[in-house]
Order: sequence, then structure tokens, then C-alpha cells
Amino acid sequence: MGYSDPSSSRDLLGNRTLFFIFICAFAVVTLLQQILYGRNYLKRYFEFYEGPLEYNSTKCLELRQDITEVKVLSMVKQSELFDRWKSLQMCKWEMNVTEANLFKSTLSRCCNAPAFLFTTQKNTPLGTKLKYEVDTSGIFHINQEIFRMFPKEMPYHRSQFKKCAVVGNGGILKDSRCGREIDSADFVFRCNLPPISEKYIVDVGVKTDVVTVNPSIITERFHKLEKWRKPFYDVLQVYENASVLLPAFYNTRNTDVSIRVKYVLDDFESQQAVYYFHPQYLINVSRYWLSQGVRAKRISTGLILVTAALELCQEVHLFGFWAFPMNPSGIFITHHYYDNVKPRPGFHAMPSEIFNFLHMHSKGILRVHTGTCSCC
Amino acid sequence: MTAGPVWKCPRTRLPVGASALLPDEKEVVQGVLLQQGKAWQSNQTAVTGFRKLLEDCCDPTQLFAMTKQNSPLGKNLWFDGEFLHSVTIDNATYSLFPQATPFQLPLKKCSVVGNGGILKKSGCGRQIDQADFVMRCNLPPLSSEYSKDVGSKTQLVTANPSIIQKRFQNLLWSRKTFVDSVKVYNHSYIYMPAFSMKTGTEPSLRVYYTLEDFGANQTVLFANPNFLRDIGKFWKSKGIHAKRLSTGLFLVSAALGLCEEVTIYGFWPFSVDLHGRFISHHYYDNVLPDSGFHAMPEEFLQLWFLHKNGVLRMQLEQCEGPLLQSSA
Repeated sequence: MGYSDPSSSRDLLGNRTLFFIFICAFAVVTLLQQILYGRNYLKRYFEFYEGPLEYNSTKCLELRQDITEVKVLSMVKQSELFDRWKSLQMCKWEMNVTEANLFKSTLSRCCNAPAFLFTTQKNTPLGTKLKYEVDTSGIFHINQEIFRMFPKEMPYHRSQFKKCAVVGNGGILKDSRCGREIDSADFVFRCNLPPISEKYIVDVGVKTDVVTVNPSIITERFHKLEKWRKPFYDVLQVYENASVLLPAFYNTRNTDVSIRVKYVLDDFESQQAVYYFHPQYLINVSRYWLSQGVRAKRISTGLILVTAALELCQEVHLFGFWAFPMNPSGIFITHHYYDNVKPRPGFHAMPSEIFNFLHMHSKGILRVHTGTCSCC
Repeated sequence: MTAGPVWKCPRTRLPVGASALLPDEKEVVQGVLLQQGKAWQSNQTAVTGFRKLLEDCCDPTQLFAMTKQNSPLGKNLWFDGEFLHSVTIDNATYSLFPQATPFQLPLKKCSVVGNGGILKKSGCGRQIDQADFVMRCNLPPLSSEYSKDVGSKTQLVTANPSIIQKRFQNLLWSRKTFVDSVKVYNHSYIYMPAFSMKTGTEPSLRVYYTLEDFGANQTVLFANPNFLRDIGKFWKSKGIHAKRLSTGLFLVSAALGLCEEVTIYGFWPFSVDLHGRFISHHYYDNVLPDSGFHAMPEEFLQLWFLHKNGVLRMQLEQCEGPLLQSSA
């Protein structure tokens, strides 16, 4: 008679039972997630890449509809919006000429970048009492010295460039490998003196035609240009022949610093041009976007540049515009592609701006790039 | 009518009745003319004696300029031209100082060039340039029209922050004009009293930043307020009562402490020269200074006293006649 384990048939809470319980629990959790997080939870993993769908296919029309029907950002959960945006990536993007032209004509009525984007000798004659954008009581008298700095006329005209890239500094650009696609554009706008060193070249490219500089950067990093100036000049040198664009007449604090930039470039005999945003243009653009639901103390430089680009270019591509803590796939990203310094809360309404861009993308007015690039 | 002579040459802070003791312009010229015939003789004992005096009071070799040695981090410095105002040497300021006084001490032959109108048509340029070390005051013009009279060599030139403010808008806007205007001084030191007046600090530091940005040949040296104060006290004890000593006297004092042989040019604060001809205030213009700030005649008399004693040589006559100049 062999030995038999008396408890072998009674595997109470032993290995096999425990194993079975685990499997059940896993199934229940998966089922719950499927119910809670919506229909795509499982599909996301099993779906294989079908290749870009045609722009006009019914599927794409539907996906675009999904985005445009969200009228206000708070109507849907962020993850839901991300999902819809992610699904839309399946579709090819095409410009919708009628929509785009409609939008551009609205802009030309409200803002008119080809005439008023910069202060020029034409739109700001000698002796003008220029009103600041925010310090409404502040007035700047255009004297000979300042007038001399302005360009004769706006250097760009309506729809001059075929394809423009506006490069935001969002962390979404990191590892995007979009550098070559950005560089392939005819005209590239960049915001706020971003680093474009060797390290970032693959992701953000180097071509720059206009770079904006926030006077607060000059104040903080370059001591208002009252001390050394070479470091600042060296930073600008990186952008080669790019024009430098400053909001000199945004408020009274910005003026001196911005004017000094012109002197620095002249002193070092640089070929780079310096332009100043026309305060009336800034007022008009903010007013327009306020009517579109962008409520903020101040709209971001990126939004201003995109607005201007829409008038100056035929096709506008946005890179690095994504103001959420995670990318559309739900992976956390840094705030900028070069650092993770968060902005002052409540100053810009970034999510609302991005939401507008997504809308415009769906309508075919401009194209927002949020994924990795594979072009060229 | 005791008030009469006081109003003739308005000065401040003079002890009561002191003005009566001062000879007026004519007497000074007469006195100088009397001396003029005699050949000047250097008096080595007087030179060493005077240098000893300066070393005891002011220590020019150590304290002439702000250096890392004499102004360590965290040191508190009282401004010498300001009432109760001080600065603490922080990291940013400290990094602007040289390690020690950057001259090859002692300097051999020094020329100290004032800007007096007497230099005009003096033909002293060559003689000035023959010295090993040439000091000039207040960024004087050195263009070719003047080089015959004032020379072209410079090792050290002082710059008053007020000039930076007036002529170069405090270097807040365009800086190129400034950099171009100091190119005539070649490889020289620009000596700035950065810590004398509150308003002078920023412009002086900005001169440093500007020259560094442009990679200019000139180097900025900051005057040490303790040195300036000590020199001021020294001359006050000798009877010079003014709000502030002139840059020229500061420089001559420093030169006497740093050099073995000092010749001074263009120190003549009167409106007529030795032959009774009217001359302009500066060799390059005739802008008169604010009255009552510097006590020029007293300073001149002190320097003249040193000349008579053989401590320094003061050049008042023409160096080369106009005939000699044209042949040269």
C-alpha cells in the first residue's frame, strides 16, 4: 500500500485554487476596464496599422466629426479627446481650401498681418503716439531714433510662402524625429529663443526664419543687456539669418530691453533684422481668439505666430504644440522639449489654444503634428 | 572790503581768510617766470622722501586699483565721494578684478599728461611719448591734429563715469561708438573711479562689460576708494581744500608712488600762459568747469612746490619750437 497524502484531494486555498482565483480576478478587471474606459480599450491593442486612410473616406469623415462636435473642451474627458485625436491619425490630412480661405479672409478682416504684423515706417509714421497693448495708459512717442529702426514696409506679403512650419516648444517634440520635415518647410517660425543645438537637431531641425524673443528672457538670463551683451549675441547667432521678433510695445517694461536688442545686433554688425510686433495687431488677435473661447490673461506667442502664419503662408504646419502632461497615447511628457520648467499657472490658456488647433486641423485649415515624423 | 578777493576766485570750504594767503594769477605767473631760467635738477633724496610719505599714508603700489588681493570677497568698501554709502564685494564684482596691481613695478620714466590749454602748440608730443609709461586724464582726444603736442602713446587713461553718462548714454544703448572712441588708447588700462559715487558704479562696470564683449585691447582697472580717500586726506593736510581733488592730482600722486621719474605736462589752470597770451581751458576745447568743485590753483601751487624741490618735473614751456617742429 503506497503512501497517499491525506490532504491531496482537499486543496483548500492551495496552489491550484489560488491560481484559478487570479485568472478570474484578471478577467473581471479587464472586463471592468473595458466597460469603464470605453469601446476602444481592447481594440487599441489588437488593432493592426491599416495604413493611412483616404481623406474623404467615410471613416475619416466620421473621425473628424468626432472632434469637431466637441464644442467646448470641458464637454469631454481629456482621455476621450486624446482617443478621438489618436484615431484621427489614421487618416491622411489634406487642406480644405474652402475652409482655409474662409478662415484666412476672417483673419484678414480682423488682424491683417501682411500690413500690421510689425511696426513699419509705413504703418507707424514719425510722431505716432503708439498705445501699448496692456498698459493702456502708456503711450510711446515714435521719435527719429526709433523710427529709423523700423523697416520701410512689411517684409512679407499675403500667402507669400507655400509651406510654413510653426514650431512650438512642447515636450511632444522630444524623440519625434521631425527635424527634417520642419527644415523642409519654406518658412520656419520659432518661439522664445528655443535651443536648436546638435542634441535637438533630429527632433526640431535648424532652419529658422523668424524667432521670437520674450523680453522676460532677456531680463532674467541676460541682465536686461545692461551688462555683458556678447552671450546674448552668441545665442542669436545660432539662428543664422533669422529675423528677431519682439513684443516691444506689449507693456512699458518691454520697450527698452527690446530696443536694446537692435543696438546689440547693430553694434556687432549682424545681418539679422529686428522687428517689433505692432501692438494693435496683438490686440486684434487676442480679441479674435477671445471670441473663439480662448480666455487667458494673455494669448501665447505660439498662437500669435500661427495666426500670422495663416495669413502669410498657403499651408501651415504646427509642430510641438501640445499642452497636456501626456501625449495622445497617455505617456507622460516634459513641458518643453528641452526642459521641464512649468509656466506660471493661469497666465496662458494653453489647453484651450491647442483645442482650437485640433479643431482647425479637423477642418483642414492647418495641420497639427503630434506623432513621430517619417518624412524625407 | 575783505569780501572782495573772496568773490574774485570763488572756492568752497576754504578756511576763513585763507584766500588772502593765496597769491592771485599774476603773482603765480611771476613766480614761475622767476624760476624758469634755472635748469631743473632732480633731487633724489626729496624723491625718496616724498615716496616714503605717500607709502606711509596711501600705499599706492598695493592700493592703486581694486585687486583680488586688496579687496577679498565679502569686503565692505565705503565710497569715498559719498556720505555713508558702501558696497560689499560679491562674487560678480570680485571676478572683474585683477589678481594684483598689473604693472611692472617700479615704473621707470612716467609722463602724466593733464589736459590744460598750455599744451596747445607746445610740441611736447615726442617728449611725452619717450617715457615708459604715459598717463592721461579723462579720455582726452588723441587724434592726429593733437599728436604733435600731446603724443600718442598711452598706458593708462582715467575715465570719469560722468563722461560715460554724457557722451555715451551710460552705455545702455549703442556701445560701438564708445569702443571705437577708446581704440586710440591701444593697449592701455582704463582707470575708473567705480566706487566713489553711487551713480558711477553702474556705468563703470558697464565699461568693463563692453570692452570684454568686443574683445577690445583696453583693460578696465577700478580705482580703490580707500586709496582715493587717503590721497585726498594727504593733500588736505597739505592745505588743499576742495570738495574733491582733480583727477590730475590723483594721477600725479599715484605716479609719484609708482614711478622713479615723473614729468607732468599740461598742468596749468590759468587763463594766460607764461608769455601773457590767453589760452583755452583744455587743449581741445574751452569748456570751463563748474566753479567751486576743484581747487585748481592750490593744486598747482603744491605741484609747483614739488617741481622746485626736484621731486617731479613740470613742463610748462614749449618742448620744441615751431621751427623745429616743421623741420621734423
